[in-house]
Amino acid sequence: MSKPKKEPIKNGKLWIVFGIIFILSVPWYFPKDSYQPLILGIPYWAWIIIIVSGIMSAFLTYVFKYQWQLEEEKEESDYEGDDKQ
Amino acid sequence: MNSAFTGWPGVVIMVVYGLIMLGIGLITYFRNKGLHETLDEYYLGGRGLGLFVLFFTFYATQYSGNTIVGYAPTAYRIGFDWLVSITYFIVIIGAYLLFAPRLYVISKKYKFITPVDWLEKRFQSKAISILAVILMLYGLGNYILEQLVAIGLGITGLTGGTIPYQVGVVFFLVIMLIYSWLGGMRSVAYTDTMQGIALLVGVFILLIGAIIYFGGLPSAADYMQAYAPEKLGVPSGASIAKWFSLLILVGIGAAVYPHAIQRIFSAKSEKTLKRSFTWMAWAPFITSGLIFLVGIIGIGAFQGLDTGESEKLVGMMASIIATKNAFFYWAMIILFGGIIAAIVSTMDSVLLTFSSIISKDLYARYVNPGASERKKIFIGKIFGIVAVAIILYIAWHPPATLYRLTVLKFELLVQIAPAFILGLYWKGLHKGSVFAGMLVGTLFASYLTVSGINLFGVLNGLWGLMLNLVICIFGSLMFNVSLKEKENAKEVIGM
Repeated sequence: MSKPKKEPIKNGKLWIVFGIIFILSVPWYFPKDSYQPLILGIPYWAWIIIIVSGIMSAFLTYVFKYQWQLEEEKEESDYEGDDKQ
Repeated sequence: MNSAFTGWPGVVIMVVYGLIMLGIGLITYFRNKGLHETLDEYYLGGRGLGLFVLFFTFYATQYSGNTIVGYAPTAYRIGFDWLVSITYFIVIIGAYLLFAPRLYVISKKYKFITPVDWLEKRFQSKAISILAVILMLYGLGNYILEQLVAIGLGITGLTGGTIPYQVGVVFFLVIMLIYSWLGGMRSVAYTDTMQGIALLVGVFILLIGAIIYFGGLPSAADYMQAYAPEKLGVPSGASIAKWFSLLILVGIGAAVYPHAIQRIFSAKSEKTLKRSFTWMAWAPFITSGLIFLVGIIGIGAFQGLDTGESEKLVGMMASIIATKNAFFYWAMIILFGGIIAAIVSTMDSVLLTFSSIISKDLYARYVNPGASERKKIFIGKIFGIVAVAIILYIAWHPPATLYRLTVLKFELLVQIAPAFILGLYWKGLHKGSVFAGMLVGTLFASYLTVSGINLFGVLNGLWGLMLNLVICIFGSLMFNVSLKEKENAKEVIGM
């Protein structure tokens, strides 16, 4: 059974979410030069940036899996056969 | 530099790595007899790359030796500001969403080999195709030059000068040319896999060693609090502007790298492509992220290095870690091999793309369209070797004046992005405006770079790209596209 076609570029909501994550991934919204508290030797703001980056990766993972579907899926595993005979 | 790998161990590592790569090339050659019969087989691995190999060939193409030897010192010098090196590798993957889904389907339908095939199909304009070819060959040529210099410096540095610069470069160049010649994309992708694994393992153990023997992050933080709080603090306004422009330029620029695009064409299926991208979205954390931590630990462990000294940070750390015990010694050997391999694997991808553009976009399109595919491949290979020879000459005799012409790559390659991406969706895109945008954007970015001008902390390539985009969009809104062109666009991109 073929799934309905989905193309990420046509989904405005995705880009709004991506845009928000993108903007939050740059540390413009913290007080300049601050770094306390340090957790495990890493400043608080750096933890937040790392977490936002993680959210970006997680969001992309979601988009790849559920929002991108243009080709008809074939019944084959993509692990086997790196060589075409 | 004094290195634990001075003398014969360094030589042995290099030779063993070289032989493994050569072996992979030979095996690929004997297992795939029809490899040299079609452009599809040679340049795209028969469009059959599976998940694991596709991921690693993306990985090895994106992360070069410079990600290790160059990024740790950057973290050392600017501190937590360099966190951007994690985000920008994720943004590159996000940028693929702008065009990869549709481009993949179209590339399969029309059997594209090179990125220029797409531009040709979409715009049917000699001017655009030829300008794109020039930009790509020039940008890729400079890319190869940069990697060549990196190999030489890397080998000399890592073996403490036992292997002279020239010998190291020529040795790896010859190996690379042989395995690329034998196996094309398949060889390149398989060696990328080996190289990628070595790099990942090496970096991981380097970090563990750094934590065990150099005290880890808390002690580095103590040092920074006392002596360099600016490396811990939230970056200032100018750094924020640079951070944003780096993310945008690198994100879009690296996504439209011609060799990255060819990897999209090589995917076995959409599913494989999607999964490889998913893995790539997480790879920054275990690559540039770990390297970032290594650099930060270095701040506490090697205090007060100047810029030149800090460039050798990874070598210094690895040398000390390697002397601790046999496990770390061997792990650092893997790391060193991995660093060299990472440079070679970035270069082989670029060179293969370079050759494919010669084969398909110049020779097959304009010189001898009737030639057999075998002959087209042969021509591409020969010109690839000639190009490498010329670049090698430039590497050893760097031009005294206009040396900035050799650093132009990103600034040029990114200029194909508007044509490339907008062309996928906008039927009214006007080809004259596309051409003008590409040309003006390129000239402007090159002018800024060559004359050493930088405006408002925003990267030069981004200025060129913005100008290019404005011309492209306003031109298309002002001028009408002929009905025939619109029909063609509809047929190509209508899905």
